Amino acid sequence: MTAVFSSEWLKLRSVASTYHAMATAALPIVLGIVWTLYATGLADERGSVRAAAPEQGFLPLLQMSLAVLGVLTITSEYATGTIRTSLVAVPKRGTLLLAKSGVVGLTMFLAAHVILFVTHATSRLMAGDRYLGFNEASFADELPMLLASGLSATALALVGLGLGAVIRSTAGAIVSVIALLFVLPGIAVYLPPPWNTRVSTLLLPNLVPQIADERLSSRLGDGFLPPWAALALLFAYPVVTLAIGSYTLRRRDA
Amino acid sequence: MVRRAGGPPPGILYGVIELHHLTKRYGSTLAVHDLSFTVQPGHVTGFLGPNGAGKSTTLRLILGLDAPTSGQALVSGRRYASLRRPMREVGALLDAGAVHGGRSAYDHLLCLARTNDIGSRRVAEVLDQVGLGGVARKRVSGFSLGMKQRLGIAAALLGDPGVLMFDEPVNGLDPDGVRWIRELMRSLAAQGRTILLSSHLMSEMALTADRIVIVGRGRLVAEATVTELTARHHSLEDAYLALTAGSVQYGGAR
Repeated sequence: MTAVFSSEWLKLRSVASTYHAMATAALPIVLGIVWTLYATGLADERGSVRAAAPEQGFLPLLQMSLAVLGVLTITSEYATGTIRTSLVAVPKRGTLLLAKSGVVGLTMFLAAHVILFVTHATSRLMAGDRYLGFNEASFADELPMLLASGLSATALALVGLGLGAVIRSTAGAIVSVIALLFVLPGIAVYLPPPWNTRVSTLLLPNLVPQIADERLSSRLGDGFLPPWAALALLFAYPVVTLAIGSYTLRRRDA
Repeated sequence: MVRRAGGPPPGILYGVIELHHLTKRYGSTLAVHDLSFTVQPGHVTGFLGPNGAGKSTTLRLILGLDAPTSGQALVSGRRYASLRRPMREVGALLDAGAVHGGRSAYDHLLCLARTNDIGSRRVAEVLDQVGLGGVARKRVSGFSLGMKQRLGIAAALLGDPGVLMFDEPVNGLDPDGVRWIRELMRSLAAQGRTILLSSHLMSEMALTADRIVIVGRGRLVAEATVTELTARHHSLEDAYLALTAGSVQYGGAR
């Protein structure tokens, strides 16, 4: 298992696409600086503004980049045929997917939190003592939201890996991840109430505010899940997808 | 090197590839039909058959990539998937193109080596052995087909295995490379290893192989030594064409 894990770690490190996706994932840091510059400019004119926190506003970009990276760790092997070489070297298919999950999970967990905390810190430092709307709460109050955001990006990367194992095509798996991240939440909002809130409560991106015990949005109001249940559901998403991925990987011809 | 200390376990033919009534069906197509033969150590065994005869499918079945519909394939008396460090027992080149183009030759081999606890020194060794030492750090996407074949052969040799299988390794090689493969195959067999080699180049096969297995439409057509085949027919090519006359069909297998 350690041997396969170290191999998967090298696989992730040794291709350029990993660094490209990581660079995209880190864009919230740059965009957060631009956003804060804009907000501080406005605040200097008007005295105070109510701007959204950059680490929340740009979170979908981070989530999506890491999800794509999760997808690619397995679909790039199918696209090139390397999956057969990998399975000849590691015939225990469950072990291969478990090692990939471990590498993706740990790397994305670290990357997501570094990016979120840096985005958070730079914007608060730049804001200084101006009132920008997003810099009034204490760090301790914001911590649950930051951790939930990072966990959601990690979960999405693992869901991407699981979907990649099931679908095997890069395009197909990425479309599924986008559906999960953007399309389904978008559709759910327009369901007749109270179904819009009921359905939205269960969708992966909406688990982040529920874990931090905040409302979903002004339109949807409060979610139905207490923080612990939202957290459990966030873990269930990757666990279920990876279990299905592992089952199909073991059952099908490679 | 090939024989393990203490000798082979009693009753098990170490290094022997055995096929017992191997059958593989894809939907309505029988790619491999009740195929039984054995491949012995110390020889180069040529594996011949028209396109779509089931050669590649048979190799995938031996390597556990595809699951047989019925029957079984054993290496040294065991199913491939049950081997703990399979690369140390069996080396295989299935498809030279099955490499992530963005990875360097060295990293590609190191990824494989790590899964079977093979050190980086061995990676450098096999790269030199196949003549890729000078381009080890170059990306594989820039390699010619011949260079990719050499990389695939390097991967098969990584674990210094007693059993080696090569699917069309001569494709894309220059005359120099063709002769190199011929001599490599013969020297590996002379060391007591089991070599199963598929190719469409009859003249080349006549120079390289000692024994021949011919399949057509997924069934065994002939199992004989090159000497026996050339005694009955003018050349190995004539023998092959006479024996497979009734079994040329396309689209039999994937």
